[in-house]
Amino acid sequence: MYHYTEFDEAFVRERVAQFRAQVERRIDGSLTEDEFRPLRLMNGLYLQLHAYMLRVAIPYGTLNSRQMRQLALIADRWDKGYGHFTTRQNIQYNWPKLQDVPDMLDALADVGMHAIQTSGNTIRNVTADHFAGAAGDEIADPRPVAELIRQWSTDHPEFQFLPRKFKIAVTGSPNDRAVTKAHDIGLRMVRNEVGVGGFEVIVGGGLGRTPMIGEVIRDFLPQEDLLPYLEAIVSVYNLLGRRDNKYKARIKITVSETGIEEFRARVEDQFEQLRGEFGGADQELLARIEQSFAAPEFRTATFENFNAARLANPAFRAFTDTNLASHRAEGYCIVTVSLKAHGATPGDATSDQMRVLADLAETYGHDELRISHEQNVILPHVHKSDLPKVYATLREAGLATANVGLISDIIACPGMDYCALATARSIPIAQEIATRFDELKLEHEIGPLKIKISGCINACGHHHVGHIGILGLDRAGVENYQITLGGDHTETAVIGERAGPGFPADEIVPAIERLVGAYLENREDAGETFLAAYRRLGPDPFKAALYPEKETADAA
Amino acid sequence: MRPDGTLPSRVIDLNRCYAHHSAADVLKHALTDPQVGRTALVSSFGAESVVLLHMVAVANPATPILFLDTEMLFPETLDYQQSVAERLGLTDVRIIRPDPEEAAVRDPQGLLHRTDTDACCALRKTAPLHEALKGFDAWITGRKRYQGGRRTDLEFFEAELRVRIKINPLTHWAPGDVQEYMLNNRLPRHPLVAQGYPSIGCAPCTSKVAKGEDPRAGRWRGSEKEECGIHFVNGKVVRGPLPAPVEEPQKEDIMATEDTVIVTDTGFGPEDWAHGFATPNTLPATAGAALAVDLSPDADLSVLDGRLESIDMIRIDFPSFSDGRGFTLARRLRLKGFHGRLRAKGHVIADQYAMARRSGFDEVEIAAELARRQTEDQWLARANWKAHDYQARLRA
Repeated sequence: MYHYTEFDEAFVRERVAQFRAQVERRIDGSLTEDEFRPLRLMNGLYLQLHAYMLRVAIPYGTLNSRQMRQLALIADRWDKGYGHFTTRQNIQYNWPKLQDVPDMLDALADVGMHAIQTSGNTIRNVTADHFAGAAGDEIADPRPVAELIRQWSTDHPEFQFLPRKFKIAVTGSPNDRAVTKAHDIGLRMVRNEVGVGGFEVIVGGGLGRTPMIGEVIRDFLPQEDLLPYLEAIVSVYNLLGRRDNKYKARIKITVSETGIEEFRARVEDQFEQLRGEFGGADQELLARIEQSFAAPEFRTATFENFNAARLANPAFRAFTDTNLASHRAEGYCIVTVSLKAHGATPGDATSDQMRVLADLAETYGHDELRISHEQNVILPHVHKSDLPKVYATLREAGLATANVGLISDIIACPGMDYCALATARSIPIAQEIATRFDELKLEHEIGPLKIKISGCINACGHHHVGHIGILGLDRAGVENYQITLGGDHTETAVIGERAGPGFPADEIVPAIERLVGAYLENREDAGETFLAAYRRLGPDPFKAALYPEKETADAA
Repeated sequence: MRPDGTLPSRVIDLNRCYAHHSAADVLKHALTDPQVGRTALVSSFGAESVVLLHMVAVANPATPILFLDTEMLFPETLDYQQSVAERLGLTDVRIIRPDPEEAAVRDPQGLLHRTDTDACCALRKTAPLHEALKGFDAWITGRKRYQGGRRTDLEFFEAELRVRIKINPLTHWAPGDVQEYMLNNRLPRHPLVAQGYPSIGCAPCTSKVAKGEDPRAGRWRGSEKEECGIHFVNGKVVRGPLPAPVEEPQKEDIMATEDTVIVTDTGFGPEDWAHGFATPNTLPATAGAALAVDLSPDADLSVLDGRLESIDMIRIDFPSFSDGRGFTLARRLRLKGFHGRLRAKGHVIADQYAMARRSGFDEVEIAAELARRQTEDQWLARANWKAHDYQARLRA
């Protein structure tokens, strides 16, 4: 794992001091509210519906036990004893007081963390595959590159006042778990025909009110050209991006209005100018960063107890069926700890749960934890022989929900319970769906199914790329939920199609139930997932299930 | 006796004190009021100068009179100067001329006015006057509100820059008042007035004015120039060179007297660029004279291709601090090899100073209002912009 150098440490301390002064200068009138706003945003501080919200970066979703314990301490000392993990691998505290925020930032700096550029019209926290460094299908660990991008983008003088926010994601695996095609820039680590490592660069993806799948701007970019190329893209966007309409200001609109060919030509032109500016220091630094991400020393041991426990304990078996992923090292597995207990708020963890996870990581997980964009916590390196003990501890802490990838493993934005932008509630809908399917005991029968819920058109809940997406809107003061079908967030990314008119809050759960019923009825066999069935059958049988009265009326 | 109190507060008090006085009263008191200090009359001995010369002669004929001989004047003016001084009994007329060495270097053929009137005024008027005014606390001018332009709200007393009071006894006079005063006091007229020159400056840059034209229309005819650069109305220097400060500046005075403040790593300073700003569309065809260019945030930099070598300064506008295009423009100009001065102008906040410097800007030009709100210490706090710079490490 990467540890802060003296430079990083001095930087974040200086930044906290600056922010402390900015808060004081806001109070004494040196800064107007308009001027203070972007400054607090670029330090992660939002003004929410009820209070301030502090969004802390967990760069590329990686943290160690000490950092996790500090997140718990911050939750206890300055918030209400819990935190909310987000779809961008951040953690949010929903109840801080403005005057406490500089102290919270100092506490983060104590463990090599910060809240810089988690908001505002800046380059945001860089996200990466949450299985990085552990997954069996990986070409290379994307985190060193993500750390390099973190350093490059931090306080970048040209890019602190962009037309709009800017998100970069990196994946090192052909199975894209980082949703790279729905980012402003997506980077896929690839090897060219002679085996040299580089990137496929995707630009102009995004969800929000105008969802778009990104386009390939460069099919192979040599590794050493990464920073000048990124700088060229953002530079072109900074000048060309629209500043007259915030809903048309993202790079996806710039690319679609300019045309990918013209946009590429401008980027390549600027890239030529910038290439010589990087004299190799970035690559030396990258090499040092790579060393700090060297894989832990995996042990070789037998794991008969794992197999025995599976036979003896059906609950353990269910957990290991759903919550494990294959690890690159023999005898190891990746454990996803679901923060989606049926009826709980997706992504929330109490300070006690955070400490349990920290302890588990320290004792059984080579001191590593990950946060996934699906709002779960991951123990990336657990030996199978330790799993029965890990499971027992998780169960005690209420963290052993066996639903990863299933219908109740729902991504939901904070919605109207917290967010000032929201037009409808998201969390209660997620809770009701999870509770209902838990009652029906159908979850494992249904198999892999991704439901994603956004409480407004800005799509923080990624509903466009949910197999079933739910978008909460406000229709004349009444919450109304639209359903999209067939979305996909992986390397085969697709924006879901709107099924038809929306449903009021009390009809959305029955509607999802009918939808799932149609899938179970029409699938070829248990091996055909919801998405596969949808792709084979098209939307008609699903729409028919969603709107039965309408069909009856048409027939009559 | 030296005046006490800061310059802006003295000016406010003086204006309050003399608010309803006549021109002659203001002048008489100004010459004796210790709050004004050592005072000179600067006179061009032009079309209307005789009015103030007469008033001064009545009040105190030993008052120092500074006459600027630019060495470009009409011979009639030089004659007129001598005869008026004698007739009014002025005992301390000091003739101020350009520095001969400077003139030999910068205008060896005396033709500078053809290519760069601003530079010519700087050499022949502003710099010598500035030199001559050292040692004075105040000076008297003949400017009037009705002359319009930047003079419409002129007060009796103005704080000029941060070093001196400027006294405008005639500011409230109406167009006919001068003629009436001259008639009543039987004062001699400048001989060129009768030949159609209602406003008289240097010979090359003064032309006759037709009936119905503005009396000052004959000055620098055919150019946008309105002021020679020795006048800074309300402290604002829009055209013309600014003398370097005589004394160590007091920072609060800058904001009281200047509309804009230039921020550098050493803090606040006054405008020191004296040659105006062109736009990409009004770039002179030939290189040579001092040249600065204003760019808007949506400027197409390719219009400057091939011209960057000949440009001394580029000033990029920030219409709003949240519009970050200027940072990228600055960086691109540096990448294109621009080595001149690069200035960010407009709504740039102290928190962006480090970003501006790292993007390639040398300095920031802000409004005095912003400088009062975000004081110098807040900008100096980011003068350490070279520290904690991730990008510099990565580019090495």
